[in-house]
Amino acid sequence: MAKLIGGLGTSHVPSIGAAIDKGLRDTPDWKPFFDGYIPGQDWVQEHKPDVAVVIFNDHGNSFFLDKVPTFAVGCAEEYRPVDEGWGPRAIPPFKGAVDFSWHFIDTLIENRFDPMICQEIEVDHGIQVPMELFWGRPAEWPVRVVPIFVNVIQYPIPLPSRCYEMGRVLRQAIESYPSDERFVVLGTGGLSHQLQGARAGFVNPEADRAFLNDIAIDPEKLANMSREQYVEMFGSEGAELMMWLVMRGAMDHDVEVRHKHYFVPASMTGAGMIVMENKSTASPAVAG
Amino acid sequence: MDEKPGQDRIPDTPLFDRKRSLGGYRINKMAMGLSKPENREAFKQDEGAYLDRFGLTPEEKEAVMTRNWREMVRLGGNLFFILKISAVDPVRITEIGAHQAGMEHDDFLRNRLGKKV
Repeated sequence: MAKLIGGLGTSHVPSIGAAIDKGLRDTPDWKPFFDGYIPGQDWVQEHKPDVAVVIFNDHGNSFFLDKVPTFAVGCAEEYRPVDEGWGPRAIPPFKGAVDFSWHFIDTLIENRFDPMICQEIEVDHGIQVPMELFWGRPAEWPVRVVPIFVNVIQYPIPLPSRCYEMGRVLRQAIESYPSDERFVVLGTGGLSHQLQGARAGFVNPEADRAFLNDIAIDPEKLANMSREQYVEMFGSEGAELMMWLVMRGAMDHDVEVRHKHYFVPASMTGAGMIVMENKSTASPAVAG
Repeated sequence: MDEKPGQDRIPDTPLFDRKRSLGGYRINKMAMGLSKPENREAFKQDEGAYLDRFGLTPEEKEAVMTRNWREMVRLGGNLFFILKISAVDPVRITEIGAHQAGMEHDDFLRNRLGKKV
């Protein structure tokens, strides 16, 4: 059966992609941010996953307000970068893990999750930036992807606990998938930021650091928080952080944290990264 | 999680609920249109005519044409959509943030984001 080799978490701020496009990686504003991802990139190089399941939200690019799926799962052969207003970014299209996507959708339905099914869809920075942060800018992506879109924009957005439960089903789907492929799951978004209203520019580094700690050792606490608590603590757009719970829900209770990074502000956002492995199957400890 | 405009349960934090989504539909649809190159061109050529295509009210039109971000959000505009205006008429997202916070840009960077400027 397929194997889950790690859970990764990262911010997906669009300015990160723009900074790479404009060659700003090594400028004083950005270098400390990008350097913090090197251990994460090394981990991916070393562990060579075949498939990346990426949980993110669309930002008014692939979906408009006319149709808003609470959860949507991609099962396309290919996902091209969408035009977010500046033209599609010049990065390679993502190849889909079509067969697993359908298996996952089956497993979701059997477990009373009813997602929208997407056979043709373009994707925005929500998946692009995390892929670039962990895999760099290859001519072709060395992993196939399964995009999971979560509505965290149009209220009512889902409960954090529901995201965590979806992770459990994702785990079941991976463990029942007849293949020897190696999977990673990426929870993306956050950390604290707010783009709208008079509280715009709100960041909460203390809460962000606590989140990076709790996601490993006490995910139930994060899953039991209300949506209002997320907004209050992490800002209106910081509520994206609940998407990390899908990733965490797919893992064991006991995990090893391999790498962790926090930087504020990336544009208007507290930006964070984590690499975790299940304790039961963790690779021999290396300096983290 | 529905709330009345001006009565945010979390202070100064407009959640994009039913009322805001309904109220802001025209502005957001207009802005969503800017993800197509031909619409960006139309916006550049004759902004008023482009806005009229989406049936914006005079109040909404005024907010967009004066780049009054605070007012666009008050009328139900959502940043993820209206940000596309900055693809046609460039402005930094931190300037949009500062405008909504009612702060000078440098003060905003310093006091909200903790940057040394």
